[in-house]
Amino acid sequence: MKTGQIAALFSDRLPRRSKLTRAAWAAAMAITVVLLLLPWLFKLDGKQHADWQQFLGRFHPLVVHLPIGLLLLVPVLEIAGARQSALREAAGFVLGLGFIGCLSAVTLGYLLAYGSGDAGPGVTRHMWGGITLTIGVLVCLLARPWWTSRSVPRVYPVLLICVLMLLSWAAHQGGSLTYGSSYLTRYMPAPMKRFLVLGKVQAKTVPGSFYAKHIDPIFDANCVSCHGGEKVKGGLRLDSYASLMDGGKEGAVIVAGKPEQSLLLKRVTLPPGQKHFMPAEGKPPLKPEEIAWIRSWILAGASPAATTVAGVSIHGETEVPLVPVGDYSGFMPEIAKMVNRQGAKLTPVSSKPSDGLILHTEDVAATFSDAQLAQFQKFAPYIVEAELGGTAVTNASFDTLGKFTHLRALHLERTAVTGDGLSKLAALSQLTYLNLSGTKVTEAALTPLRSMRNLHHIYIYNTPAQPATVALSTHAVARKMP
Amino acid sequence: MKQHPLCTDTEHAPSVMDLPIPAGLKQEWASLQTRRRFLGRTGKVLGWAALASLLGDRALSGDAQAASTQSASAAPAAGDWRLPYFAPKAKRAIYLFMSGGPPQMDLLDYKPNLAALYDKDIPDSVRGAQQLTGMTAGQARFPIAPSHWAFQRYGKSGTWVSDLLPYTARMVDDLTIIKTTNTDAINHEPAIMLMNTGNMNAGKPCLGSWLAYGLGSMNDNLPTFMVLQTKVNAKENNQPVSSRLWSSGFLSSEYAGVGLRSAGDLVLYLTDPNGVDREVRRKMLDAVNAINQQTSQELGDPETNSRISQYEMAYRMQASVPELADLSKEPQSTWDLYGPEAKEPGTFAYNCLMARRMAERDVRFVQVYKRGWDVHGDVTGVLPILCQETDRGCYALVTDLKQRGLLDDTLVIWAGEFGRTVYSQGGLTHDNYGRDHHPRCFTTWMTGGGARPGITYGETDEYSYNIVKDPVPVRDFNATILHCLGIDHNKLTYKIQGLDQKLTGTTPASVVPGLLA
Repeated sequence: MKTGQIAALFSDRLPRRSKLTRAAWAAAMAITVVLLLLPWLFKLDGKQHADWQQFLGRFHPLVVHLPIGLLLLVPVLEIAGARQSALREAAGFVLGLGFIGCLSAVTLGYLLAYGSGDAGPGVTRHMWGGITLTIGVLVCLLARPWWTSRSVPRVYPVLLICVLMLLSWAAHQGGSLTYGSSYLTRYMPAPMKRFLVLGKVQAKTVPGSFYAKHIDPIFDANCVSCHGGEKVKGGLRLDSYASLMDGGKEGAVIVAGKPEQSLLLKRVTLPPGQKHFMPAEGKPPLKPEEIAWIRSWILAGASPAATTVAGVSIHGETEVPLVPVGDYSGFMPEIAKMVNRQGAKLTPVSSKPSDGLILHTEDVAATFSDAQLAQFQKFAPYIVEAELGGTAVTNASFDTLGKFTHLRALHLERTAVTGDGLSKLAALSQLTYLNLSGTKVTEAALTPLRSMRNLHHIYIYNTPAQPATVALSTHAVARKMP
Repeated sequence: MKQHPLCTDTEHAPSVMDLPIPAGLKQEWASLQTRRRFLGRTGKVLGWAALASLLGDRALSGDAQAASTQSASAAPAAGDWRLPYFAPKAKRAIYLFMSGGPPQMDLLDYKPNLAALYDKDIPDSVRGAQQLTGMTAGQARFPIAPSHWAFQRYGKSGTWVSDLLPYTARMVDDLTIIKTTNTDAINHEPAIMLMNTGNMNAGKPCLGSWLAYGLGSMNDNLPTFMVLQTKVNAKENNQPVSSRLWSSGFLSSEYAGVGLRSAGDLVLYLTDPNGVDREVRRKMLDAVNAINQQTSQELGDPETNSRISQYEMAYRMQASVPELADLSKEPQSTWDLYGPEAKEPGTFAYNCLMARRMAERDVRFVQVYKRGWDVHGDVTGVLPILCQETDRGCYALVTDLKQRGLLDDTLVIWAGEFGRTVYSQGGLTHDNYGRDHHPRCFTTWMTGGGARPGITYGETDEYSYNIVKDPVPVRDFNATILHCLGIDHNKLTYKIQGLDQKLTGTTPASVVPGLLA
């Protein structure tokens, strides 16, 4: 027993024991023994137990932050206490509170794990972290009087440092259970990741495959915190392709080619609030498009390596990721003024500023020319769509448009543009849609656009560039660029 | 201090407007007062709270003076309520409404097993205890009438389509076909109201009005919401289509659909009479507006403001509608696509072409009504006519939008108010049969911005009578349409009669993820 040994080690150097200290040591021993025996008395067998345990247990995440804060305060008080003795006196009290907090957090945490049937290596680590920490704090509490009386000066500081390190580790384990182990590293800059050799862990999927790019990240963000290395609810792990296909206690969750028979899809498409609905515990449901991707991926054979899946065209799935637009709210008065002067409107795409603005010219199309367009250049960083169909703009406007770096859709249908200068649009890395219908644009003028990877839709209906076969074809003239 | 209009003690009683209650309640109270006045009570009505709120909206636009002569929708979007809640896939929608109830098993809901069941009675286990209409409830027998037409598979999706729809068959890979739309109403008027307004009773705003209210206008020179009616064909069984269906209900009448006529002038009295030029018209309108402004200040009836803005809209439409209807610049490829019928105003093909032209001009919502689908009898005689009238137009519209790059952000919807029974109404022969109303399942389709192309959603049983999988009730159908346009159906509400009213009603509705791209 840890505390017993320590006590024996220093017994000859200890100050005289009063009845009170003896009682305190006895109580400490009892608490330690109970804590250490807990995992054997109530085994975490992965089965759910009483609801009241879960109910109380769910206060664990709330309560657990109290002792963390209190314990971090202790060294601060101790150090600051070197100058102001009142602070040092308070440190003991805070440490005591910290211990009570630890004890409550461990109790509630155990109730949570036991009640809801959590098990797995992550849960076990966090459990032992919590128990050891509580015992450690208890020992600190007992050892502190030696330090204040200067009879055994070194034990307490060393113990406190150990306790704080243990605290960080145990708290991190708990965080990983809730948010998933990749939570902290997910958005870490790549050089730092490489430095920390985290990159090697990623080799679990086939790079570039549909599974790696679209399916695995869904599971990672929504499922793995309960069905992963840390917690393995229902015996199901979704953190690798192999374990996904292995399924869980209720058998396979993915039946390749048969979305209707795939349990995973059934569970995520139940009405939210139903008992078996996933993600459970009030976590947000999967997005409709995510469900659609999973369904299509299963339908196409649930392959780990296939790079495309029939029937799925993912909007914004591009080589260059679309950049969210900055907040233009501050410019609104200026934009309103501009709109009143010009007649052309700048309207928000949605109530979310990061979705950007649309330039509408419908009301003043006939008089909207290159000069008018140039005046909007000021707001270019916020404009994601320019509707210039039927306006008086000419080839000269490509100079201006080349500076609309956030443009995703550009309508130039029924304008006088001929395509000279189209190459200036090549700089628009975000552009996915370009409508040139009803213009005089030629096949040759389109050539510079072939290098634009994001540009998926070019419309050239009723132009010299339109292929001859169209008259009454069932295929639209929308062409997919390479 | 102004007095409560109903107060008899003009000396002492306080006004409702002075009570410490939320402004929203005051506004609602004021609008109730206008209704009471309308019902015959005399006396001045205090509606300035409503006026203040309208002015408030303008004040936000940053240029109150300029806005005062324009409609409220002409002001730049101010505040969140006129915006999509999230980035929309579709900016506008075109709704092809097949009034009367197309027979799903003759068009898109292929039931090959029915052929063997010809003239057999539909099993009681299938029909259950469902209420039938008075037209067939008295029938001694309910003999199964298999479809008269053959079906074939089309497109990469291998979708079964009836021989009646050769053009629709060409575009199945673009369509989201929903076999399990279902409604609560079994008769035309309640069903068509439910489909359009989310409620069987008249008085609620329709889908187009909600969109106009929620998203505002993209083109100040044309109405936000336009309705096109197709000429009646006397050979068909035509059910009435009334302006209740494009009414704005309790929303301001600015948001009501503006119907174009199917014959003669598109809009009556839109052209100036001889001797009245544009300037005279402008002066006259200014004078009328000034009088209306006075009325508005005096009575505070929000409808006065709607009227002012509608006069202005009509003035602008004097220029924009002739331009809209001028088909002389359409290239030959248009006529090749829509067919020669499209040159004749009032035909379905013409309306489809007009719908495309409206979409090009950024009209937010266009609804095309085609009547005559109420095939109680002579299905083999009438249905081919109906399909011949509509099939090519639908295909042409979708194809045209697609080639012009408009289908990316336009949602096209094809639907009736209910389906039809698999059993024959009246006598069943090898050559002919009739079909009664059937609310439990019917087939609809959508395509374009936000809809998932090339899929068939939901399954019906082998009689096309009950839904086996994935039902889509009308409220979910409408919630999904709103979703495609960037609207959360639970958030687009208007408080009246103590309820936050919405298109999808009080029964919980949900967006159908399976229909979304």
